[in-house]
Amino acid sequence: MSVGTPPVSGEILLQTTDLTKSFGGIRAVDHLTLTIARGELRCIIGPNGAGKSTLFSLLTGLHRADSGRILFRGEDITRLAPFRRVQKGICEKFQTTRIYRRLTVGQNLLIPRAMRGSENGQLKWALETLGLADEIDRPAGELYHSHQQWLEICLALATEPDLLLLDEPTAGMTPDETALTAQFVVDLNAHGVTVLVVEHDMAFVRYIARQVTVLHYGRIFAEGALAEIESDQDVRRIYLGEE
Amino acid sequence: MSPQAAKELQQDPLPSGRPRAFWAVFGVVAAGLLGYSAVGDTFALSNLANFLLYVPMALGLGLLWGYCGVLSFGQAAFFGIAGYVYGLIAGNLVDVAGGTLVAAAGGIVGAALVAAAFGYFVFYGQVSGWIIPLLTLVLSLILETFMAQTAGYQWRIGRVLFGGYNGMTSIPSLRIGPVEFSGPTTAFYLLVVGLSLLAYLGLRSLVGSRYGFILVGTRDDIERTRMLGHNVDFMQVQVFTLAAALAGLSGVLYVSWGNYMNPSNMGLLAATLPVVWAAVGGRESLVAVFLSTVALRALADTLAVRGGEYAFLIMGGLLLGTMLFFPAGIVVSLARAWQRRTQSFGPRASRLAKSEREPGVLK
Amino acid sequence: MSLPYIVNLLYQFADNVAFLLLAALGLMIILGVLDVINLAHGELIMLGGYVTTLAFYRWHLPLAACIVLSVIAVGLFGLLLERTVIRRFYHDKLGALVATWGISLILSQGILIVLGPSLQSVPLPDWTVSYGVYSFGGYRLLLFAVVVLVVVLAWWVFYHTRLGVQTRATMQNADMAQALGIDTRRIYLLTFAAGSALAGLTGALYAPTTTIVPLMGTTFVDVAFITVVVGGGANPIVGALTSATVLSLIATPLSSVLGTFFGRIGLLIAALVIIRFLPRGFSGYLRDLQRRRMAQAAT
Repeated sequence: MSVGTPPVSGEILLQTTDLTKSFGGIRAVDHLTLTIARGELRCIIGPNGAGKSTLFSLLTGLHRADSGRILFRGEDITRLAPFRRVQKGICEKFQTTRIYRRLTVGQNLLIPRAMRGSENGQLKWALETLGLADEIDRPAGELYHSHQQWLEICLALATEPDLLLLDEPTAGMTPDETALTAQFVVDLNAHGVTVLVVEHDMAFVRYIARQVTVLHYGRIFAEGALAEIESDQDVRRIYLGEE
Repeated sequence: MSPQAAKELQQDPLPSGRPRAFWAVFGVVAAGLLGYSAVGDTFALSNLANFLLYVPMALGLGLLWGYCGVLSFGQAAFFGIAGYVYGLIAGNLVDVAGGTLVAAAGGIVGAALVAAAFGYFVFYGQVSGWIIPLLTLVLSLILETFMAQTAGYQWRIGRVLFGGYNGMTSIPSLRIGPVEFSGPTTAFYLLVVGLSLLAYLGLRSLVGSRYGFILVGTRDDIERTRMLGHNVDFMQVQVFTLAAALAGLSGVLYVSWGNYMNPSNMGLLAATLPVVWAAVGGRESLVAVFLSTVALRALADTLAVRGGEYAFLIMGGLLLGTMLFFPAGIVVSLARAWQRRTQSFGPRASRLAKSEREPGVLK
Repeated sequence: MSLPYIVNLLYQFADNVAFLLLAALGLMIILGVLDVINLAHGELIMLGGYVTTLAFYRWHLPLAACIVLSVIAVGLFGLLLERTVIRRFYHDKLGALVATWGISLILSQGILIVLGPSLQSVPLPDWTVSYGVYSFGGYRLLLFAVVVLVVVLAWWVFYHTRLGVQTRATMQNADMAQALGIDTRRIYLLTFAAGSALAGLTGALYAPTTTIVPLMGTTFVDVAFITVVVGGGANPIVGALTSATVLSLIATPLSSVLGTFFGRIGLLIAALVIIRFLPRGFSGYLRDLQRRRMAQAAT
């Protein structure tokens, strides 16, 4: 296994080069070079503080990178305003669920900015699969925790993203709900959405991932197929050993 | 997702839900207000018109604060700017046909431009929520101080004097063709009723639209809304400017009513009033803001007989009491209590229970 | 430019800095620690002025004693205010701003009703210092000295006492501070009282220099608000010092050439431009800068 292997085939959707971001004295993301091909479903794992969420906030523009570049579909988006990145096709489901709790599910879904403005079959499918289609008139704050998480995924999907970022999408879910979420993410990927997932739950990762990137101290520690990663002694030591 | 698809998903496009009932009530109120012009005496009409002319300014703040989450003390400043600009233009174009209409447009546009420039700096800076009320308050104070020292002949444009502390006087009333909309006329009363109802209807359809929900989204979680693809900085500037334009409309109506404008109309105490009206009624409900504006204007008018300080003392007490005990507003809290009481009766219970959970029960 | 002229400019500058610092420091400390804007700050200043003036004429106390009395009285009033009103709004910071605006109206209009439109001012001690063609108000120089003393005292409390450490811990992370056994409610209470006492001091110190009217607070708050906005709440002392200095650098030449009004317009425009680029004010910017330095040092 080698570090930073480019994907074997396909068009490159996202490419970061030497991406760096520090907070205080800590380099959260350290000269990170990452390549994601269109259509990939990639899991990013790593111990706490490895820089996973920071990487996402650099990709969405919530934080500005100190140095390095982000290319999305070949275009430099490093300095682009966050809302423009959504319009280009990157959307994130945050780590802590952030939905509009006082609005109904249907009203929540009015808010995302849809790029193409046509019927979004994918969203309709997602709402039905996740059991939200029957909850359209319910205030989002009254939904079960898992449904709130799913609603936020649907909000992100409503922007019709090419690249969906999911930050711990199954946090706090029961095993059944985690399984449903995993199957949903796999199906979504099969629909053509490129997905990047940060997740701690290794059962979830095993279920969905083909390619895994291990972050450690803001750098890529290992990258490759899940089986290789799991058998790698160093990875076991820094990460899996903790489980 | 597309708006059409979203509408399909959503059974109730407007949270108030029952359009027929709404239009029936609205029709009765509008007919009552218009019909009153036939029976009310000149003094009563002129008074009521004076109360109603503040409605657009208050509704603008309701939109800005209640739906967009941005608190501003600037409404009085924009009211004053529009009034002064109107006075300058109308006074100089007094002999020109349609001159006062140009002046009205100029006043409202002037207020909107100042607001847009101000809004650009604060909203694109993405400042914390407390900075906007502070700086708008400073704007009001500075404008008041400035206008108060514009006494004397060196302060004039064309034939119009600024008037300093005593204010600008003899401002011509709005005039369309042969009709003059001066304070004690039925024409002015009808104009104010029409415009305030129109402002209400316009804002109601705005907040019921998709744009309105996006505004509520910026209020509840600005970052999430930004991260769902919206240029929220620009939207906030838009709403701030719209609110200022509505305050400008009130300012123009005010000078047309009383033919004068003075610095205290844009000063510290004046800046308070729209905030009191919106807070006491309930800033998330346009109806409540409408009602409380008229009611509190009437109350202040009654108290003013004893001296303005008593009116402002009571306003301060109302504001503090509302924030302590009815943070959602007194009218809105009463409406909710009433809904809760009726909830236990009849088949409508579930429906009311649902609408109560939604923001803006009374749109 | 002659030396006396430069000394005169320096005097004007010091006078401006003193005014901005005294007007804003209390407000800023409350903002920094409680994250609450007290819109009644101007009225607390007004109360300070009234207590001093009343004590001077009714009880014939010396001016210094009147000033001390004002500080204590307004500080106690702040204590009461925090207990009854402010602490109900720690979950709703904009609500606190609106509620304190209500308080400010009640105070100014209440004083107007009870004590009438104005009081006779305390006579200004007529110490003057002459240099060249200029003469300088000795009382103004004393004000500047008091400001220096207040800032040093605040700095000492903030950085060299146990209370200061607890306060800074509360500012950084109130939940964590509470978990570590710091009584954050007490910190909030004391901070609000201290900020109020500073308002009382301001009102008392300036009582001999202005007319004592119920709305006298407004002459302080417009510049105080600008100072707070430009300084930011990240570090009240650093914020107040940098902001008052920069704003005085802008206001002093503007006021001396174009008059007080354009000095204030200049301040408002400066504030708008500054927050467009430094939305968290000077203290927020300096904090970020310091963090970036630490980051570079770590590599």
